[in-house]
Amino acid sequence: MAREKIYQEEEFPSPFLQLWQIFRQTPVAMIGFGCSIFLIVLAIFSPILTPHSAIESNLDMLLLPPSWDDSGNISFLLGTDELGRDMLSRLMSGASLTFGLSFVVVVISLIIGVLIGSLSALTTGIKASFLNHFLDVILSIPSLLLAIIIVAILGPGLSNTLWAIVMVLIPQFVHITRNAVKEEFVKDYVLASRLDGASSLRILRYSVFPNIIEKIISQATLAQSAAILDIAALGFLGLGAPIPLPEWGAMLKSGIDLFYIAPWAVYLPGLAILFSVVATNLVGEGIRHSLKLHKES
Amino acid sequence: MLIFTLRRLNLFFFTMLLLTILSFSLSFLFPGNALINVSGQINASPEQLILLSESYQSESSIVTQYISYLKHVLSGDLGLSMSSQTPINVEIADLLPATIELSMVALLLAMAIGIPLGFIAAIKHNKSADSLILSIAMIGYSVPVFWLGLLAILIFSIIFPWLPSAGQISLLFEIKHITGIQLIDILLSDNIYKWQAFQNASAHIILPACVVAMAPGTIFIRLARSSMLEVLETSYIRAASAKGLTFNQIIFHHAIRNSLVKIIRHVGLQFANLVTLAMITEVIFSWPGIGRWLIDSIYQRDYTAIQSGLLVLSCFIFIVHILTDFIYAALNPLARDSKHA
Repeated sequence: MAREKIYQEEEFPSPFLQLWQIFRQTPVAMIGFGCSIFLIVLAIFSPILTPHSAIESNLDMLLLPPSWDDSGNISFLLGTDELGRDMLSRLMSGASLTFGLSFVVVVISLIIGVLIGSLSALTTGIKASFLNHFLDVILSIPSLLLAIIIVAILGPGLSNTLWAIVMVLIPQFVHITRNAVKEEFVKDYVLASRLDGASSLRILRYSVFPNIIEKIISQATLAQSAAILDIAALGFLGLGAPIPLPEWGAMLKSGIDLFYIAPWAVYLPGLAILFSVVATNLVGEGIRHSLKLHKES
Repeated sequence: MLIFTLRRLNLFFFTMLLLTILSFSLSFLFPGNALINVSGQINASPEQLILLSESYQSESSIVTQYISYLKHVLSGDLGLSMSSQTPINVEIADLLPATIELSMVALLLAMAIGIPLGFIAAIKHNKSADSLILSIAMIGYSVPVFWLGLLAILIFSIIFPWLPSAGQISLLFEIKHITGIQLIDILLSDNIYKWQAFQNASAHIILPACVVAMAPGTIFIRLARSSMLEVLETSYIRAASAKGLTFNQIIFHHAIRNSLVKIIRHVGLQFANLVTLAMITEVIFSWPGIGRWLIDSIYQRDYTAIQSGLLVLSCFIFIVHILTDFIYAALNPLARDSKHA
């Protein structure tokens, strides 16, 4: 039996829930959201879902074209590469490397960046001015160039690439958190809780964070699309994931040599990268759009 | 304007200080001996090493070491490349103009195509043309540059053999190195085949420049669209239409100028993005620029080259950044009084 409402209680959804209600009404953003969920599921369950092994080669089935081609084979839906590895399985496990790892990278740098940013928003004076200039300098160096330099220090490899991208993304989160927190701190409701005797950290936790979380998430989607492109670019340059791993950028690189005979080994990984970046950007656009509507309402 | 200039100069010195400290500390962070990393002399004899350590003062405190490193950089001595043992400043002077050429052509292309498209989208706000342009912008912004480069080669040089796929100019032409920027060098030279060479060089630059311009161009679309929308909502536009000006007059005489000023402010930031894209594109199109050289030196573990390449490239980006700031301030009096540097 459904519980009846006895009291005339008015519901006040949190700012985040209000945003979600607006976000739900834009169909394009929901498509992007659905695609992102699909990619996350794929990233987690790809070891169970793949029809063939992503790494083992199959010498009888070298360079099969996709199955819609006349000489294709239906059990290898998207064809095979130069070592007979199934493209579909490689693309699916690539989702957990390129998309899944970029997600992890963004979450790690978000946590560190928000911590540093909110602490630095509470400081003033010469320390804050130094940090501001320092962030400006770091942000003026392109992210990929910085990632390449950090990889050069740490040495090539997948885990080093990930740490490099984490370090590159942190300043962006510090910057946005710092500005957002400073903006909120001069508002009246913060003053009210300060008059109630709340400490700065408590105000940060209970008053400011619920109001700036959507800005941080919107920055996180930007960071996510940059992270996917950077992981793939480093893989393509041969500085990221080592050869047998089915990382999309590295797959693209290994497909170049057979570009003229087997173009599907190049355009399929590229399409996969494009798909995941577009999905992420659609979600980001949706969030920014609903933020704007929310502000106007 | 004077205070603005002083603020910018202050920012410039601070940034240069940080960049040189960063590049100086790289020689300690890279594996191996810091002295050899900074000088690049891998085959130095013990006597030469003593001389080197005197010139870089590697026995003294870290501050003295940094100052002597700064003296070396300011006098143009960036050390030797570990892999080729040639002075790095000579190599960079050869390669940097090619990158400048590619990125400038790409920047012009991105602005020439992106900004008008953005204006059209803003004028047709919330109509089908607007959403079409926005969806193109979304895809162009998301496409990975290395994949786009490969597809461009596949379509425009292999399936339809219209444009060359690699290099800066055909080897048949010999162009004297004057400014280093090929298209200008050709026009300056007194070769009888000048125009053929110019055509050949332009055919070589079209594909890579288009590939580099793709993502920044789509960002310019979005910037132009939002700044035009902002301008169209201001009161002076309403006043102009109240005076009875036609829509075209308003757009061409009032709206475009004011929204262009807002876009120029973002050119500097986009330029940093564009140079990164140019680095990857140089690898694909075998463009003899500094990006390809830098990535090659990572493969070869040429730490001296990485260190100096980073310094030169980020200085170049930062100088362009400051220049666009000055242009913006010269065009927009409001920006000169802003409080933050």
